[in-house]
Amino acid sequence: MEDTIVSVGIDIGTSTTQLVFSRLILKNMASLVSVPQIKIMAKEVIFTSEVHQTPLLSATEIDSPAVRAIVEAEYKRAGMTPEHVDTGAVIITGETARKSNASEVLKTLSGLAGEFVVATAGPALESIIAGKGAHADALSRERGAVVANLDIGGGTTNIAVFKNGEVIDTCCMDIGGRLVKFNEKGCVSYSSHKVGQLAQHLGLSLSQMQPLSTQQMQGLAEAMATILAQVLGCEPATELTRIMATDRLLSLDYAIDYISFSGGVAECMNQENSTPYENPLIFGDLGVYLGRALAQSAIGKRYQIVEAEQTIRATVVGAGSHTTSISGSTISYASQALPLQNLPVLKFSAEEEALPYWDWEQAIGKKLHWFALEEEQQVPALAFRGPKAPGFDAIQEIAGAIIRAMGPRLEPGVPLVVVVENDLAKALGQALQAITGPTRLIVCIDAIAVNQGDYIDIGTPVAHGNVVPVIVKTLALGY
Amino acid sequence: MISEQQIKSIIDEVIKTLSPGAEGVGGGSHMAPAETMTATTAASQNNQPPEEESFLEDLAAVDLRKELLVPGANNPEMYLKLKETTPARLGIWHCGPRPLTRSLLRFRADHAVAQDAVFTDVSDEFLASIGVETIQSCCRDKDEFLTRPDLGRKLPEDQGKKLQAICPENATVQIYIADGLSSTAVETNAMDTYRALVQGLKGMGIEPNPLFFLRYGRVPSMDVISELITPKITVLLIGERPGLATGESMSCYMAYESSTAQPESNRTVISNIHKGGTPAVEAGAHIAGVVKKMLEQKASGLNLKL
Amino acid sequence: MRLKTKLFGTLYSFKDVNDVLAKANEEKSGDQLAGLAASSLTEMIAAKEVLSNLTLADLRNHPAVPYEQDEVTRIIQDQVNEKIYAGIKNWTLAEFREWLLSDQADCRSIGRVSRGLTSEMIAGVTKLMSNLDLVYAANKIEVLAHCNTTIGHKGTLGFRLQPNHTTDDPDGIRISTFEGLSYGVGDAVIGLNPVNDSVDSVATVLRMFQEIKETYEIPTQICVLAHVTTQMDAVRQGAPADLIFQSIAGSEKGNKAFGLDGALMAEARDLVLREGTSTGPNVLYFETGQGSELSSDAHHGVDQVTMEARCYGFAKKFQPFLVNTVVGFIGPEYLYDAKQVTRAGLEDHFMGKLTGLPMGVDACYTNHMKTDQNDIENLAMLLSTAGCTYFMGIPQGDDIMLNYQCTGYHDASSLRQLLGLHPVREFEQWLEKMGFMENGRLGQLAGDASTFIR
Repeated sequence: MEDTIVSVGIDIGTSTTQLVFSRLILKNMASLVSVPQIKIMAKEVIFTSEVHQTPLLSATEIDSPAVRAIVEAEYKRAGMTPEHVDTGAVIITGETARKSNASEVLKTLSGLAGEFVVATAGPALESIIAGKGAHADALSRERGAVVANLDIGGGTTNIAVFKNGEVIDTCCMDIGGRLVKFNEKGCVSYSSHKVGQLAQHLGLSLSQMQPLSTQQMQGLAEAMATILAQVLGCEPATELTRIMATDRLLSLDYAIDYISFSGGVAECMNQENSTPYENPLIFGDLGVYLGRALAQSAIGKRYQIVEAEQTIRATVVGAGSHTTSISGSTISYASQALPLQNLPVLKFSAEEEALPYWDWEQAIGKKLHWFALEEEQQVPALAFRGPKAPGFDAIQEIAGAIIRAMGPRLEPGVPLVVVVENDLAKALGQALQAITGPTRLIVCIDAIAVNQGDYIDIGTPVAHGNVVPVIVKTLALGY
Repeated sequence: MISEQQIKSIIDEVIKTLSPGAEGVGGGSHMAPAETMTATTAASQNNQPPEEESFLEDLAAVDLRKELLVPGANNPEMYLKLKETTPARLGIWHCGPRPLTRSLLRFRADHAVAQDAVFTDVSDEFLASIGVETIQSCCRDKDEFLTRPDLGRKLPEDQGKKLQAICPENATVQIYIADGLSSTAVETNAMDTYRALVQGLKGMGIEPNPLFFLRYGRVPSMDVISELITPKITVLLIGERPGLATGESMSCYMAYESSTAQPESNRTVISNIHKGGTPAVEAGAHIAGVVKKMLEQKASGLNLKL
Repeated sequence: MRLKTKLFGTLYSFKDVNDVLAKANEEKSGDQLAGLAASSLTEMIAAKEVLSNLTLADLRNHPAVPYEQDEVTRIIQDQVNEKIYAGIKNWTLAEFREWLLSDQADCRSIGRVSRGLTSEMIAGVTKLMSNLDLVYAANKIEVLAHCNTTIGHKGTLGFRLQPNHTTDDPDGIRISTFEGLSYGVGDAVIGLNPVNDSVDSVATVLRMFQEIKETYEIPTQICVLAHVTTQMDAVRQGAPADLIFQSIAGSEKGNKAFGLDGALMAEARDLVLREGTSTGPNVLYFETGQGSELSSDAHHGVDQVTMEARCYGFAKKFQPFLVNTVVGFIGPEYLYDAKQVTRAGLEDHFMGKLTGLPMGVDACYTNHMKTDQNDIENLAMLLSTAGCTYFMGIPQGDDIMLNYQCTGYHDASSLRQLLGLHPVREFEQWLEKMGFMENGRLGQLAGDASTFIR
């Protein structure tokens, strides 16, 4: 049995806006005489848009109607309508994420994209998505190696480190090709605050409409490359490097085997293979210089560089193909409760989970109370790993504790959402329903690992209703 | 031969790679070799409890997927990661061309438990604890059951009468348990599956017929039994032929208006019900869903659209 | 033709040739289940006595299933070389046994006589032979076959790498394959029994095997043991296959239950020769096993050894590269315990070799039989001594998918080292190059599957 779902990825970056459609092929891996076990067997990109300049109203505002127009036109070109799309992710990456009207842009798009789930990304998730889109995760798995992918865009450099296919570290640097923009005469038309600090270190001032010499531009690009080399441990990190990080630096408590580069700037690195940019200011920014500086930097001398499978499209392919996972194949859900979007996750710690079931009620209650103080009124999804192959009585006890703790807090009509890792969601959902009676909407899914602080989107069922697509939005890795 | 030093380094390696994923108290079964080792060394150095009071690790409790015995493997982490994807006995190393003692004994232990599953009868204590009536097929004993599949599907006349006395005719759903080729599977899983199934059926407003146990029963017994008491749907929970890794595996066979005239393809099967496959309760909830579809479509087996 | 004899003063008479053949069989639970077995040991010996006095012509003229009724009979009978047959047809089975064991009978002369035999004659003489007879006679016979490499040379012992997985998980199959290769397993074939019999799934695994074979330049052959028609579709769609596999039976009805007939096998062979990835000319792989005909009610009242011999007669027609009996797979209702499995393994191997096949054995057992790994190690040692062409190699002998146990990766080097046997030559050179074998023993890197990673 095979089934496909169509996923859209939309990446609105500092400099470019792109869209892809991917097909995720679902297959029942179990034999005909077993309970179904549906897995994503293959992911293929079926349509890639043009690379559009991100339309801006001003330096701090995205032109959302124009973004919508781009997306609509690409839908048309692909012969797709929102009804074709089962899932997907829109991400606003790089500097843009800190721009004023990001949430308005998402709202504008979500209508267009039908019922699919919309995600904003934090720097950690952006790095992971780009790394997966660049196939750094797959490469690390194939070679049994540690691979760091640097996705260097207009506004930020997102680094994700994968070991044997799993992400082990991420970081995000305020380094990108478009942090300085030039007009046709080589005069600075825009510069970000942080790049100004960097220039200051070099004894440069980036004043509006002042020209910069080629040497100065190269110097700035080389300084950026040096910072990235420091982040990767080629030389000790300086204070300046710490300043240029959006949050933290890589921990480097592992040995990197391979480095790959993606993002728009990566396109400027590989000049033997592509047409050399005779005019380095062809894009009106520092991208070409930065690419050249990286190609010459200490990174290539210290590490083996491997070519990324996607460069400028890494993030959008990652968003389209690698954000959606699917639930286990024996789950419980009330169809009318789906889709669910942006549900905060309340996750049991290992210690809490080790408590006897009769203490779960109190533990859940405490967590909910604490959660209500910190967050808005929304009732979160309750998440825990769950026992492996529990008995019938254990399931009843867990269900009882959950209902006693959460029941009073749920308004009528609000679904009770439970997310577990081990295979027990159908039995647990059935037990919960047996307690609440048929009126309460229950969504109980398994085979999904989440962490405290994540947000989760649950789509409408696919594969003959056996599974639901799930997007877990990790805001920070549990380092 | 590998030296003690090498063994220590293997164990260190294993622990090092696994400790991030180590879970809870019972979950750290891969820690066992180290614990044993420290326990013995400690006992010889300090005045720990005398040796006869301590006991060795439970060999069968070691999760083989998480154990790598290859000293100085080229890539132990990736080895373990790939081993996670298969229950095959891999990464077990060798002494000369032969397996290590640890692997040899584990194999024998797993075979022993599998053979016990086949050759031991479902205990009277178990049957008493679940409080159900027992009927017996035409087989006189286990040996006859194993060599005469034809007899394991039939009921002697008196047992048929007993069945009719226990189970009213024309029920919507009749569930029963048979030992099949694994008594262990039945004792371990049948009641969890049964209770989850009944909870699911009750949620749909269905009250099943009383449960009973068939001793020395094979799958086609469901046709014979269905002809005697004519339920709409017959559900049989039966022990599967054990593999080494799956001595506890149980199957569920279901049929709509089951009878000896129906082909085998009229049966819907769900196999691999055990803690390493589909957990018993989860299977029970799933089976309830399948029964619902059978009732809606008035069909089973190949004719049923799942 | 005399079907009566006295033994210890009691008169035993038998209905017909099939009755003699059945009752002359060593004890098998399958013959008892079918109601064909001798009712006492003395009746069995009486039947052997009657059988030993029948001539080869008697058996030729009384095929187990009539010629008109059964395609397998026709294939067996039509393959007989009439000139050779004419030279031996008056031999009694007793004489035939003695000739096979005599010094005159060497590999060449047995090979010649083999072409004048039917499967019933082969089954008949087998029933007169002791276990040591079966080992001794089989050991004389060398049968070579070539696909990408040559299998069957005297002094070699091959292993099929069987990396089965419960869900056909590619990573799980891959790591099992790597580890098997590192133990010197896989010279006969790298062959998976798939869970999923779909064309896509078969093609996916074949492509993975091909990639492994090419990346590491392994001199061997690959195969996925789905139904023949599924494999043919996969090959037609461009999937790489060196061999096409099928389980076969000893009667037309039994083959029909497996979904095949002679025409289909000829078509399959033709297809691999034209579109397969192997050199050939031997491009098919068959599996058999005593009792399979009875289990599909296709045994025509014939005992399971005779039906098994007929499988080999059918197989021979299609010049296979590999044939093996899966000797203890079917369960205690056919082979009850270690003694019966051991006997059946020795019988099948001898009968296959005498038929002229590159005969291997899946020496195995299920957990509902009164057998254990020690018994299967015994059988493997006996068969290695008998010159068995190949065994199966599975991680520690535990097949997680088919739920049975057989010979393991470790048994390959153990048996080879014990008896001075070698893998297929090109494969041995490859093992040495990779560091998995040194001077006929396991090499430094043997047993470390992660050698292949990175």
